[in-house]
Amino acid sequence: MSEISFPIKDLARRKTQTALTILGLTISTAATVFLVIFGTNLGFEISFLARGGRLTSGFSNIFFQFILIVSILNILTGPIITSFLVHLTMSGRMRDIGVMKASGCLSGSIFAYFITELSMLVFLSSITGIIFGVAAFYVSTIFLNAAGFSISQSLNLGVIMVICIVLIIFSHISGASPIRKAAKAKPTEAMSPIYNFRTTAGLGKKVPSRLGLTFKVAFRNLLRRKSVTSQAIICLTVVLTLTTVTIAGGMIANQTTTSYVERAIGRNVVLVGHPTLTNRYINLLSRFFEEKEMQQINYFDHEFVISESLVSKLDDIQGVIEVDPRLVLENSVREVPGIVLDPIDQTTAVIIGDSRSDEALILGVEPESVVNDWLIFGRKLGKDDQESTMIGDSLAVNMFSDAQNQSIKVFDESLLPYDIVGVCVDPLNNGKVVYMPLETLYKDIGQSGYNLLFLQIDASEKSQVLAQIENEVSGENLNVVELDTILDKHVDFLNNIWSLVMFLPLFSLATAAVSLLSYLMLSISGQQHEFGIMRALGAKPRSIMKIVFSQALIIILVSGAIGISAGLFITFGFLIPDPVISQSTIISVSAWLIMILGLLCASSLYPALKAVKKTVVEAISAV
Amino acid sequence: MKEKVIVASGLCRQFEIDDVIVEALKNLDLTVKEGEFISIYGPSGAGKTTLLNLIGALDKPTSGKIVVFNHDLGTYDENFLATFRSAYIGFVFQSYNLISTLTAVENIAFVIELAGWPKERIKQRSETLLKLVGLQHRGNHFPAQLSGGERQRVAFARALANDPPLLLADEPTGNLDTETGLEIVSILKKIKEEGKTVIVATHDEKLLKLASRSLFLKDGRLTE
Repeated sequence: MSEISFPIKDLARRKTQTALTILGLTISTAATVFLVIFGTNLGFEISFLARGGRLTSGFSNIFFQFILIVSILNILTGPIITSFLVHLTMSGRMRDIGVMKASGCLSGSIFAYFITELSMLVFLSSITGIIFGVAAFYVSTIFLNAAGFSISQSLNLGVIMVICIVLIIFSHISGASPIRKAAKAKPTEAMSPIYNFRTTAGLGKKVPSRLGLTFKVAFRNLLRRKSVTSQAIICLTVVLTLTTVTIAGGMIANQTTTSYVERAIGRNVVLVGHPTLTNRYINLLSRFFEEKEMQQINYFDHEFVISESLVSKLDDIQGVIEVDPRLVLENSVREVPGIVLDPIDQTTAVIIGDSRSDEALILGVEPESVVNDWLIFGRKLGKDDQESTMIGDSLAVNMFSDAQNQSIKVFDESLLPYDIVGVCVDPLNNGKVVYMPLETLYKDIGQSGYNLLFLQIDASEKSQVLAQIENEVSGENLNVVELDTILDKHVDFLNNIWSLVMFLPLFSLATAAVSLLSYLMLSISGQQHEFGIMRALGAKPRSIMKIVFSQALIIILVSGAIGISAGLFITFGFLIPDPVISQSTIISVSAWLIMILGLLCASSLYPALKAVKKTVVEAISAV
Repeated sequence: MKEKVIVASGLCRQFEIDDVIVEALKNLDLTVKEGEFISIYGPSGAGKTTLLNLIGALDKPTSGKIVVFNHDLGTYDENFLATFRSAYIGFVFQSYNLISTLTAVENIAFVIELAGWPKERIKQRSETLLKLVGLQHRGNHFPAQLSGGERQRVAFARALANDPPLLLADEPTGNLDTETGLEIVSILKKIKEEGKTVIVATHDEKLLKLASRSLFLKDGRLTE
């Protein structure tokens, strides 16, 4: 028989197994192609948001880190699943290889037959996988762009080719290994089940009898096929790690970034100021999610000044918890290099930074009255701070080498620079902000007074307090703006981006289900004979289904325990600084993970049903 | 008067293999009374295993009727038949068919665990049966660690575990050497003395001599 006709006949003879392998490899390839293209374009979209003046460095870093880790896991998952499926398929051919050797077939011919079969499976699946992956990418982007996003639909053919080549190489390496091993083995060895799946003759380990007959048989069956069982566990573990990072990481990161915004803007905060300035402030705050052209204004216009008497009147209103008066202006700022110890030899001093400059929003504040509670690297401004500043995250990242070890010049070049005591994550003006004590600001600009007021009000009597504030400011040409409305827009914007990012694990889950199904189908075809014996001895079909289900459950639980722990470790260890985890997030994450494990368990019902579909006699006759 | 435990009438079993119809049993009639030891012999492919499968409720006839212990087996679903096998039938296969992932004692216990016996009784019964077949020292060994004869003895112990009124044995000495075959014959003798109904498909003369009635099966037809 020729090297082409044998593999074609062999594949056609094992219709179910061939179809399952092609389906598994196709989904695995499609998932990898989809995730990499989608991830890259999503990364570009987020990078565009950051570059286009939207998002702040702190936020875009979290997104980037998230997409980077998810992408690395995706790239790992594809070849692992592919090689697992190929190894599984080829392991099932070992007995045939033994029979062929016993019939006098040469090792070289056997290797050629089966490697051709492997190549046929891999190439066919790669082509269909790429088609499905690209199609899924287009469908997803059309759907998401219709929902308001603007994800590029450009295809990077180079990336697709690289993925394809990597998967083909991995598949051939992992698939060729059992073929080579069997081709070299003695015929009796290749025909032995011990050689097939590294089956153990004696299982040694005792299973606690209280776990019941079903569990005992299921556990022993898994131990008996330890080679494929451990591969199935590795495969599912990687997928579940990826899923946990995406789901738990995504949800926690969503809540954390939402909390960063809430802390930075503040809940139940009312802004009072001249309409020109309040509009300006809202526009600066909205830069986080929409870019707007803004004209230059003179912040020192006397119309903008808020009188001390109004401040005290507003402070006297019952329900106003805190009054935070500020003097806000825009100015250019300049980086001042710093001196630090050489990080390598720790004895010599080195200069860091340069003299870069940028435009920033300068906010003079009374440190003890500030209503915001930003995420801060370093510390907040204190009551006694005089020549100090706290700067926004984008300014720190884009204009400084190591902001906390450098200083900043805000106004006159002849003035001394200010220390930077902290870096805050702030959506205001895209994080290009400098907070400094009001007194210091007054001294430097030679003027005093406030032009914006921030009032923290009691949420329980919001409407009455707002009415009283409006009453006090009436006739003064001042605007009263509730910041909660703009805060909600920020939160919606973040939620939309996260929902987009969390689209990524869907394909990974599909591949997890297919790997598990493939493993179980192969495992069941190997156990069909024994299931037949059990049924002949009086085991009901339900008992056999319970055994198959228990096997799946053991694999899912072991992989779940390792994968979910690893996913949570990555999430908390590398993904999110200062994570915010509420009880509802814990419940949601747990519910999602339980649902995923449940779905995987449910996917094992098909092979379980398949296991009892044959008649007892057919099952006993199965080799 | 002894009760009829098996009544088969007009029993046919056909198999379709690649569009070819193979008639394994043709219009077969058989009656077996309680306590009988029946041996069925005949050439390879005569339909001996098919007949045992039908009596043992492992398979259903294409046509005809088979009533075992007053149950018309062709009319029941798989769940009922599983319960029926567990309660009435002990089956010994030619190729032992032990469950490879269970030890010898666990293989024996499997049947009675399925029947829901209490733990203590299961342990007691399994050990008694292991002793009966002379394998008390090999209880914790897996099938792969036992010889052919030992596996067949475990298979007998398993078939007797739930004390079934009917024992079916398909070529129980077929794969064994003379000495081990004699051990199996002696076990079957003990079973016969207990008064159980036994049907053995065999070529072994010693087993044929042990039978109260021998039936010859050829081309799917039975003659006495």
